[in-house]
Amino acid sequence: MRFRSFRAQLLALILTLTGGAQLVAFLLIARVHRADAHREIDRQLTEASRRFLKNVEQRNTDLAGRTEALSFDTGLRETLAATTTDRDTLTSVMANVRGRVGASLAALLSLEGKLLAETRDGPSAENIYRPLQLQADASESPNPRATSYGFIDGTLYSLTIVPLRAPDIVAWIAIGFPLDRAFLDELHDSTGVESLLRHGPTVLATTATPPGELISRPQILPTTGSAPATLELRYSLDEKLAPAQRLENVLLVVGAGSLLLAALIGAGFARRLTRPVQQLAAHTAVIARGDYATTITLDRTDELGRLAESFNRMSAGLAERDRVRDLLDKNVSPEVAAQLMRDGATLGGEEREVTILFADLRGFTTLSEQLPPRELLTLLNRYLDRMSAAIEEQGGVIDKFIGDAIMALFGAPVAQSDAPSRALAAALAMERALVAFNAELATEGRAPLGIGIGINTARIVAGNIGSHRRLNYSVIGDGVNVAARIESLTRTPEYRTSIIATAATMAASQVGPVSDRPSEKAVRTFRPLGTVPVKGRAEPVEIFAVDG
Amino acid sequence: MPRLPLPARWIFFALALAPFATAAFEVKLTDAKGQPIADAVVSLVPLDPPAVSPSNPPTKLTPPAAPLIVMQRGQEFIPYVTPIVVGSRVSFPNKDTEQHQCYSLSPAKKFTLPLYAGEDKAPIVFDQPGVVALGCNIHDWMVAYIVVLETPWFALSTTAGTATLADAPPGRYRLEIWHPRLAKTDTRELTLSSATSAPLAIALTLKPDRRIRRSTEKSGGGYK
Repeated sequence: MRFRSFRAQLLALILTLTGGAQLVAFLLIARVHRADAHREIDRQLTEASRRFLKNVEQRNTDLAGRTEALSFDTGLRETLAATTTDRDTLTSVMANVRGRVGASLAALLSLEGKLLAETRDGPSAENIYRPLQLQADASESPNPRATSYGFIDGTLYSLTIVPLRAPDIVAWIAIGFPLDRAFLDELHDSTGVESLLRHGPTVLATTATPPGELISRPQILPTTGSAPATLELRYSLDEKLAPAQRLENVLLVVGAGSLLLAALIGAGFARRLTRPVQQLAAHTAVIARGDYATTITLDRTDELGRLAESFNRMSAGLAERDRVRDLLDKNVSPEVAAQLMRDGATLGGEEREVTILFADLRGFTTLSEQLPPRELLTLLNRYLDRMSAAIEEQGGVIDKFIGDAIMALFGAPVAQSDAPSRALAAALAMERALVAFNAELATEGRAPLGIGIGINTARIVAGNIGSHRRLNYSVIGDGVNVAARIESLTRTPEYRTSIIATAATMAASQVGPVSDRPSEKAVRTFRPLGTVPVKGRAEPVEIFAVDG
Repeated sequence: MPRLPLPARWIFFALALAPFATAAFEVKLTDAKGQPIADAVVSLVPLDPPAVSPSNPPTKLTPPAAPLIVMQRGQEFIPYVTPIVVGSRVSFPNKDTEQHQCYSLSPAKKFTLPLYAGEDKAPIVFDQPGVVALGCNIHDWMVAYIVVLETPWFALSTTAGTATLADAPPGRYRLEIWHPRLAKTDTRELTLSSATSAPLAIALTLKPDRRIRRSTEKSGGGYK
């Protein structure tokens, strides 16, 4: 069986263990009960067999003793010993003997085994008495006797023969009693064992036939003069098992009850175990959605409780990371933030070719005198917001705001093969954005703003600059100064431009790949402005106005 | 029961030949286990009787003048076996303090004799040959035998199993041996001469002793 849920598996395990243990116990008990019943019946049958033989022997001995005692009766002895006594008299004497000793039949045999008289009518049973007499005569005992079973007139008798002494043994007296229903009933009363007496296929006597499966033991009773009879001692296995059966029934009920209880407890336990697991699983989905604020509470101190605490700590950690990232995003450009997240904030840098864009607001100083600082800041932020958007749209990275000035980088921290083109496109976009911003300002009744942008492309060092406690991602090098310097040249009226790029930028923008923005012009219009000296620099710089 | 249908005239003839009697003739009896047999009655019956004529008439055996004694003492008959010739008288004195009632149901002599202590009854004459088994109606274990013979040559074997027959003249005889435990009387022919002969050893097969065992306890049963 395969269960998909852990809960079902746990339940199945508990039920299998509990049920299995009970089943094994039940089967063992049932087996022991059956073995016990068989052994007990076996014992009883043995006892009944012994008792039967003992009862027969006892009765034989009683009858023999009484008959012998009676045989010393003077008158009886004289009559029986006299060879002249007629058969009718002998028969009546034997009937008297039978009555006195309490036998069912009595017979007189001569020393030669000839039947002289017997108390019953019908065919002579001499052939049955004769072997008894021979057996007794051969006995070494001073008290010769012999017993056997004999089948007479359709009845099985237990027969005993004793001598008649006068004072020598002059004749033999056989007496007998029948093995009838009464005798078997007596056996049943004393042993609880039922019995059936058969002679061949003929049932001679039987007690009640017990119900159910019978365990039967035959006892062969050898007879003189015919085939042996068989006593079948019987006991009902069902009857013997009845008390055990009741116990087993109780066990079944108790077993079913405990199984049910185990199922309930198991289900409860599994539920207690799986519900928090499910809760935790659900919570992971919550965390996956980015919801770190929701915490999970399992009111337990076990492993699962600790797991929930770990979840909450993880949530808190994730929330913290996000907060840091968010702050980072706001304070530095997303690219820088990503690099910081990736590489960590370490001092040092790498030399690479970067295009630097410097933008400065014209007329800001005048504006700052006219407006209250708060409004000024608002206005500045609106301006910077739009400029930033234009820069970032082109993949530029705002390096820093310096008052109303903007320093942006292209090609750092992420290298861009078309960085100069992007910078130029950004500059033009800024110009357009300022036009739109000025239209807004006009509706607000404010004076328009002007802008100056300087762009230079140079190999410089980019990296984290600062102290161990505070550092900024930035660039450093002569090229940066050049960019700032040429930005200020836009103030020169003769140039009639607000965007000036160096020759390096122009050249790089022309050899670089075509812009990935097909809507924009790939080729810029550059108007040479000649060469200008740059402060602190030996070589003059060739500059161009970017007109479109 | 052994009967000795012996014509008395042979005996007379034999007695007449008494001057020519043989030397004592001894029989030694043993049972199947080689044990000596006591209380056996050994007798000789002549096989060649002389012709009977008016001048030589048969004559009778002469029983002893005094009666033989089978007494009752300690609730036993003493002796156990008593061989006698036909016509002998036997008296049954009771030496016990208890009564006895001696009886015989044997065909050779049937009688019942109440015997009181110290009272003398007239002796009984045994006039028929045969074995007479004596019992006591009061004490079942008491048994004795009187063997009534028709020959003068008989003897009772001793505890050593020997029986000595004297005075029988030479001639052919039938040797008869009776014992309570013999199934039937043992008979065999033999010829006696005047010369002394070695003892005749005879092994016999005895039946089990069927005498009722007397209980040694006074309170116990008379037999078991």
